[in-house]
Amino acid sequence: MTATPGTSRTPLRIRLLPLVPFAGLLLAWALAGWLLRPSPATLPQVSAVAETLAELAASGELWEHVAASMGRWSLAIVAGVLTGVGLGLAAGLNRTVGAMVEPLATFFTAISGIVWLPLAIVWFGIGTETVVFIIWNSVFFLVFANTVLGVRSVPPVYDDAVRTLGGTQRHVVIQVVLPGALPYIVSGLRSGFGFAWRALIAAEIIGATAGLGAMIYRAAEFLRSDVIVAGNIVIGLLGLAIDLLVLVPLERRTVRRWGLVTEGGRA
Amino acid sequence: MPAARKLEGRRAESPPRPAVPRRRRPSLSGPYGFLVPLFLLLIGWAAVKGGFGLADDVVASPGQVAGALWALVETGVLPAFVSVSMGRLVLGALLAAAVGLPVGLLLGLTRYGALMFEPFLRFLQAVSGIAWLPLAIIWFGFTDRTILVVIVYTAAIPVIFNTMTGVRTVPPVYAQAVSTLGGGRLRTLWNVYLPGALPGIVVGLRLGIGYGWRALIAGEMLAGKSGLGFLIFDARRFHVIDTIMAGMVVIGLLYLVVDRMIFGALERLTVRRWGVLR
Repeated sequence: MTATPGTSRTPLRIRLLPLVPFAGLLLAWALAGWLLRPSPATLPQVSAVAETLAELAASGELWEHVAASMGRWSLAIVAGVLTGVGLGLAAGLNRTVGAMVEPLATFFTAISGIVWLPLAIVWFGIGTETVVFIIWNSVFFLVFANTVLGVRSVPPVYDDAVRTLGGTQRHVVIQVVLPGALPYIVSGLRSGFGFAWRALIAAEIIGATAGLGAMIYRAAEFLRSDVIVAGNIVIGLLGLAIDLLVLVPLERRTVRRWGLVTEGGRA
Repeated sequence: MPAARKLEGRRAESPPRPAVPRRRRPSLSGPYGFLVPLFLLLIGWAAVKGGFGLADDVVASPGQVAGALWALVETGVLPAFVSVSMGRLVLGALLAAAVGLPVGLLLGLTRYGALMFEPFLRFLQAVSGIAWLPLAIIWFGFTDRTILVVIVYTAAIPVIFNTMTGVRTVPPVYAQAVSTLGGGRLRTLWNVYLPGALPGIVVGLRLGIGYGWRALIAGEMLAGKSGLGFLIFDARRFHVIDTIMAGMVVIGLLYLVVDRMIFGALERLTVRRWGVLR
């Protein structure tokens, strides 16, 4: 009997399936370490990485880097979402502004993110400002484009409805356009959060001295592969956590609750 | 009340869902619609530079950027770097497709493949190819192979994801139809799943190239001795902003060409023509 994944009647066996590839990777890694006996720089042993991870956590160094990374990420996300949605609304609602801004947005999306790194380093130097700028850059254009698309997708008959009932433009925007554009905006957020996380790491590798990206890059200079792998595990888990813990509930609470998207479609 | 009755009448013959909302794409956005905004941008840019008196090592003017661009072309640096970068990208994309397509197909076709591997793939995507750059540098040094590895890793994941999803959206009734007509597994794959998954596959390839492009630039910045990423990163050491900005323009245009023209055309020729898109 096949059970539908995700329902409360899913047998435990099925719910634990996603862990299999992780376990498999761990196993393959441990075996490779045991059979091939690679040098610690090439492939650190599972045990070495575990030890390093524990060490970094205990000494507090890991948490410093995590805090730096998450701080920058959060700040840039907030800035990116606010500016992206704000400007996206403006561009989507106003035909001329939209036509003017759109080709430029397309071009700047093409170079969004780390392509700005050299310029950002010249302007802000190595450090937090650069990283935040790069992340903001990555998020803004994505959210902007999605917001514009979302605003355009709202059938104008709803605006008219609100207006005939005496609503002002403000009512139209808040009660019709924003909720109507929400599926697109949330979809943009979902991609944007992941983008931002990856842009964060890339920017930190090249342009910062603190944070997870900087941590793993410095480790490369000392051939500390164990630190790199430990760091990457943390990076991956944090990124995964962001995706699962922030976005799925967000989607559930806004888009699905308001019935704007039918169940069964994959985001 | 008259108002209510009027609404009643309208609802009876309610207008069809507008195919194009009133806020439709104005004709300014036709193929040459970008010229006016571009022109305004150039003017605004020059005005900001001149008006605020920004130094040359902060922002370069459009004229300076054009000059730098010309210098790069003339000395042969730009064509060489463009071909190096594009070469890496193309090779990386081919390898990513060669790895990603079969894996994606396999995962999509098996019953629990997608369910089992989705969080794992998301985890790998969260780590991102660029995070493996330090390790790749330890393994392969500052070589082409390092950059290639990172590109392939980064590009393969969306390919796998989207191929997987594409396969899963094919209604099983088609496979069953082929079965009843005596077709075997291979025929089902060739005649049902591959065409059916094609929109997903094309999306995956498009995303893969997009992500791979960024990984390429990042890789070249950090571990390259040639290529566009290297160009703009190296230029920063000498504060030649005009070269940096010229490089950025080239990168952007190149990406747009690859994405819009190649993939747009590809989509038009395959997916839309075969009516596989709903």
